Order: sequence, then structure tokens, then C-alpha cells
Amino acid sequence: MLSQRTGGLGGAASPGLTLRLCTLCFRVSQGTQGGRLPSSAMSPPANVGRAPGPPDGGWGWVVVVGAFISIGFAYAFPKGIAIFFKEIQDFFGTSYGEIAWVSSITLATTYGAGPISSILVNRYGSRPVVIFGGLLCGIGMVSAAFCTSILQLYICVGFITGFGLALNLQPSVIIIGKYFLKRRPIANGLAMAGSPVMLCTLAPLNQFLFDNFGWRGSFLILGAILLNCCVAGALFRPIRAAPASVKPQVTEEGKDALKKEVTEEAIEMSSPTNVPMENKMEEEGEKDCCEKINQYLDFSLFKHRGFLIYLIGNVLMFLGFFAPIVFLAPYAKHIGIDEYSAAFLLSILAIVDMIARPTTGIIANSKWVRPRIQYFFSFSIAFNGTCHLLCPLASGYTGLVVYSIFFGLAFGMVCAMLFETLMDLVGAARFTSAVGLVTIAECCTILLGPPIGGTLIDTFGDYKYMFIKCGAVMVLAGTFLFIMNYYNYRMLAKEEKERKAKEEDLKSVRTENEGRNNWNKETAQDGPELEPLREEQEGLKKEVNGTNEL
Amino acid sequence: MEKNITLDSATIIELSCRLDNKYSHLKNLQVTWKRGNETIRHIDKTENSWSIQLKILDSSKLGSYSCILKGEEEISAIFYLQVPKIEGKEKPIVSYEGDSAVMICKSFGYTPIAWTWYKINGSEQIAINDSLLADKYVINSVSANVTHLKILKLAKEDDGVYWCEAAFELGRSKGSLKLKVLSLMVPLKPFLAIVAEVVILVTIVFLYEMYSKKKEKCAEDEKEFDQVEQLKSEESNGLENSSARNRKI
Repeated sequence: MLSQRTGGLGGAASPGLTLRLCTLCFRVSQGTQGGRLPSSAMSPPANVGRAPGPPDGGWGWVVVVGAFISIGFAYAFPKGIAIFFKEIQDFFGTSYGEIAWVSSITLATTYGAGPISSILVNRYGSRPVVIFGGLLCGIGMVSAAFCTSILQLYICVGFITGFGLALNLQPSVIIIGKYFLKRRPIANGLAMAGSPVMLCTLAPLNQFLFDNFGWRGSFLILGAILLNCCVAGALFRPIRAAPASVKPQVTEEGKDALKKEVTEEAIEMSSPTNVPMENKMEEEGEKDCCEKINQYLDFSLFKHRGFLIYLIGNVLMFLGFFAPIVFLAPYAKHIGIDEYSAAFLLSILAIVDMIARPTTGIIANSKWVRPRIQYFFSFSIAFNGTCHLLCPLASGYTGLVVYSIFFGLAFGMVCAMLFETLMDLVGAARFTSAVGLVTIAECCTILLGPPIGGTLIDTFGDYKYMFIKCGAVMVLAGTFLFIMNYYNYRMLAKEEKERKAKEEDLKSVRTENEGRNNWNKETAQDGPELEPLREEQEGLKKEVNGTNEL
Repeated sequence: MEKNITLDSATIIELSCRLDNKYSHLKNLQVTWKRGNETIRHIDKTENSWSIQLKILDSSKLGSYSCILKGEEEISAIFYLQVPKIEGKEKPIVSYEGDSAVMICKSFGYTPIAWTWYKINGSEQIAINDSLLADKYVINSVSANVTHLKILKLAKEDDGVYWCEAAFELGRSKGSLKLKVLSLMVPLKPFLAIVAEVVILVTIVFLYEMYSKKKEKCAEDEKEFDQVEQLKSEESNGLENSSARNRKI
């Protein structure tokens, strides 16, 4: 308030100036007719027109815990209920193929309902969507406990629970982007670690529930356990989204908006306030149905270069991502390893995965990797692919253990950065729609991956072709992403340079206008002398900028 | 040294004991074939092996046959001739009152002639007749090696041990299964406990949020109040100063 103003003037304020200010406020306080003047009306707010950036801590870590739970359930649950399938298959007298559809439908719905999830988050925010998702999961599993046919199981476990899990997965990832910026890779790595932890917890828990309560009782209790997603949702306190940071995320639309802002300010300077008002009214009239749809689900992302690169690379990668996990235990049994040791391989994978995810988050957050995080991501995909290509060379149990360790490491690295890289490319504001569009595109290849692997195994009778196919696809995806991101980084640097040059031009125009308005009489005399000086300064500035960017 | 041999139908079988090359230096070896205490006469001897031929026609011929080599040390090997094993289930099948349960028995590799199901009550076994109690028990065989017993409308009395018996030419073989029938209250208790925990946690989270919002608002109001107080005090100071100056002048 007043204290701020005198503070702003600093200690160098002359007594005459303070006298003037005091009489000014004396006049103002007299003018208010005894009423108390609201303090905010007099002083300018501390940050004019800028929302505060993401907190990067504080309540954000509690949100990470909530996201940990939510993401863990979303990924681990479809895999965890595979324990019940044998018993359900016997009970309903169906074949294994029909039962396996339950898992596929759940996974397909979780990924396919991504856009719906995004639309709901865009409209209502993360918290109500996650709470509703948790309720839906609970209702789905409880009704599954009373099913009398396999079709009803498809609907209750597959569609309803799958949809609930979709409403859990997307908002959890989105809200991390809203709460973190500088420490976002760590937050993402920690939250994604929920998946292996939950899987390791759910597997023995499901076995215990099954031994004691049968499959119906287990589904009932699992429904209650899934309600804990509502607790996770309650932790997702709403927060204003951070503005898209200036760094390498200047999109074409962002540039246009910036230009508009700058030109509007210039107009304000030189003319009365009527003109900006007219501009605004025109804009609102232009909002046609395209803009309205974009408000809910941002289809303009398909013009975004980084988004398209990510989409193509990831869709390719998921063709070979999940199949090795599905077939690791059968492959181990095929080469003569007993059932318990084969299951132990998966446990090794999960434990290494658990450690790899937060570690990758920390590495990705370091100042060497963060600006080049896309390269790190492509490297981890290619590393994953190489592991699969080398797997057929592994002989015996020790070889498979080594493979499991490296596979767990690579799997964790890719998963930890899966959403972080998308956020990095698209920015927190548009991430909501981006994640929905990406998941529905990935849905197809995720579902196709294991069956294609299975067909290869059945046709050739040998597991090595499946590993070679998965490895080749992932190495290809990694290389594609690496090359395209190199191209993308260069284009972004070029656009940044152009944008900065334009800003400098407009700034110099603005300062010239200000100079003329403020010191009318003085500049009239100094004008011809000052201008060449100013031009020289600008020239120097441009040179300096040029050398920096080189 | 033991070996299990599975036979399901009448057959002629030859059992032979062969001496490893590292023992061939042993002299004065006496080999006897025995079944229980009974010695078998007709032994075919070749260079390093002793074998017997058996005609297995019914279950009385099954059992354990042993060949004993007596020399400096006594080495023996036992053959167990038996009917095929039937796989039941080690862990109990859990089901609920009013629901149905399906119990499955499998025979691996050998096809039985017939299947029979028994319920064990204490020490007596009761054969399950599915034609008599057609709305309670349904027995069908999906394939010849597999049998299903479906028990409908479960009640507490159906709890217990069940045997599935496969009849082969050479005898019978049993698998054992355990059925547990629970009431609906049993899983309901943990369910309600977890739901209560969820409701409590959600309430705590929301209450904490309301409390911390109130604290923030109070702190903001206090700050505003402080600022206005400061403004008022400075105004009064300024007033005094200017009036003092005026007076001085």
C-alpha cells in the first residue's frame, strides 16, 4: 500500500517528494468521506496480470502420493485379476480364450476412454473425475461379484471397471503437470512407480483373498479396495494451471497469441481505450463450433509438430512393449525352468522396475538431461529393444535372470518418462487433451501386440521370433524418435530466435513511443541527438543476441 | 532307487535291473527278484542285466517289485506298478450358500472306464447319484479324461471332502477335493470395514482442506487489517507533520 510505494521509491526519496506524497494521501483519505478505502484498490497488485507458477512442492508431494495410488491401480489391476481366471473358467465352463477377453476389454477400455476422461477433466477438473472413477470401479467390481454369466463379467469387470480406471489414470497424470514444473520429472517418476509397487502388492493379496473367499468374495473385497481411489482423488486439490512456460514450448498458436498481446499493448499506448474493447468483442463473436470443441478436446494438437512425433513414435513402440512381459514366464517354462522360478523372474522384473522409475525421474530432472529429455527417452526405448534382441542369446536360468534385470531397468525408464516427455513437448495447458488423444491411439497397438506375438510363437513354434519382432519394432521406434526430435529441437531453436527478434523490434518501437509521450519538450530538442545513440544500442543488442544463439 | 510305472489296462511288462559298468568288477553276485516276501523264480539273465516278465491282468498283480543284488554290498531297486493317479485339488474350493460349485477331476494320459463321485461324511462315503437328485448334482464329462461335478443350491451341509474315483481295467484310483461353503456375511465384514476406512479418510482430507482454507483467509484478513492500520497511522503522522510545518512557517 502506501508503505509499499515509499518502499519502491527507495531511501533516495527526497523530503520534498515524501511531503508531496503525504499530502496526496492526506487529500485522498479526506476525499473518502470517512469510509475506509479498500487497500487493494489503491495499490497495483504485485504481479500484474501473471498467474503464480506451479508450486513445485508443498501440497504437490501429497498429490504425488495420490497419483501413485491411482496410477498403480490403473495399471496393476487388469494384470492382477489374472489369478482368478482359472477358477472362473472352470465355474462357467468356458475356454481360456473367452476368459482372457476380460483382461483385454479392461485394458482396451482404460486406454480407449482416454479422450472422454480428458474432456471431463477439461470441464470439471481432476478431483471430481477421479472420485467418480473410484466409485465406478467399486460399483463395477461389486456387481461383478454377483455375475451369473461370462457376458456379465465382460460388462462389469471389462467396461465399467475399465472405464473407472480410465477416469483414474488420465487425471492423475494431468494434475502432476499442474503442480510441478521444475521438479516434474521426479514427480512423474515417483507417481509412475505406483504401477510395479501395486502389482507386487496385489499379486499376493489376490492369492490370499482367493484362498479365503473364493472368486466372488474376492471381487467384492477388491471393489472396496478400489474405492481407495476416491481417497486419492480427494487429495487432488484444484489449482490454477501454470501458463505455458516460454522455454522450448512456443507453439505456432502461442506465437500468434503473443503477437496479438504485443500489438494490443501498442494500440493501447497510442489511442484511447475504446479500441481494445472492440477487438475483444470481435474475438468472442468468432468463436464458432470448432473453437467450442477445441475447448473440450484440443484437436488442434494434430497440427503440433512435437505431438505428432510423439504420437507416431509411441504408437510404433507399443507394438512390442507388452508382449515380452506376457510371454516371459511361458518362455522360461518352455526352455525347461520350473514354474516357481519362472514366476520369480517376473518378481525380479517388478523389483528392478520399482527402483528404476524414481531413479530415472531424478536423472531426467538433472540440468544435463532435462533440456534433452527427448533424447533420453528415445535412448531408453532403443535400449529396451536391444534387450529383447539379445534375449534369444540368453541360455539357461542365469541368462534369463540377467535379461529380466535389464528388461526391468529399461521398462522402468520408458514408463517413468512416458508422460513427462509429452508434457515437455505440449506444455501443461494442452496436456489434458494430448494425453487423451495419445492413449486412444495407443490402445489399438497395445491390444495387437501380445496376440501378434502369440501368433508368431504358434506359427514358428519358437519364442525367439517374437523377441526379435519386439526388439526390432522398439529399436525402430527409438531411432525414429531420436531423429525426429533432433529435427524438432532445431526448428524450436529457430522459432525462438525469430520470436525474440520480433520482440526486440516491438520493444524498441514501444520505448520510442514512451520516450516521445513522456518527455515531449525535452525530446524535441534532444531527438536528433538521442536517436542515433538509440539505434547504435539496438544494433549492439542484436549482435549480442546473434552471438548468444550461435 | 525307485521307479513308478503306471498301467491302466492288462499288459505284459518286463522289468530289468542293469548293473552299471563301474560295478562290473564285482564278482559273486546273487540277484533275486521279490514281490513283498515272495521270490520270483524265472529270471532272464544277460551279461549285465537281470530281468523278469510279468503278466498283469488284474489289480492283484500290481504292487512293488524289487530286485536285490547281493555281493560285497547289497544294492536294491524297487518298481512300483500302479494305476494312473487322478488329480484333484489341494486347496479347498470356496463357494457361498445358494451359489453353485464346480469340481473337476482330471486323469492324465489314461482314459478311465468310468467315473464315480463320493461325498465323505465322517468315515463313510456316499455315492453321489445325479439321476436321483438331478436338481442338486450334475455330473458330466467334458472329455473322457475329465469329469465335472456341479453342485447347485449349496448349503452348509455340502461342506466337506469329496472323492472322484476313476475305474480302470486294473483297478480304481481316487482324487480328493475339499469344498468350503461360506455364508455371505463372511466377505461382507472386510468389505464394510474397508468402505468405512475410505469414508473416514475422505472426510479427514476434506475437513483438513476446509480448515487450512479458513486459516489462510484469516491470515489474509489480518494482513489487510494490519495494512489499513498502518495507513491510518501514517496518515495521522503526515497530518501532524504538515500542520507542524505550516505552523512553523
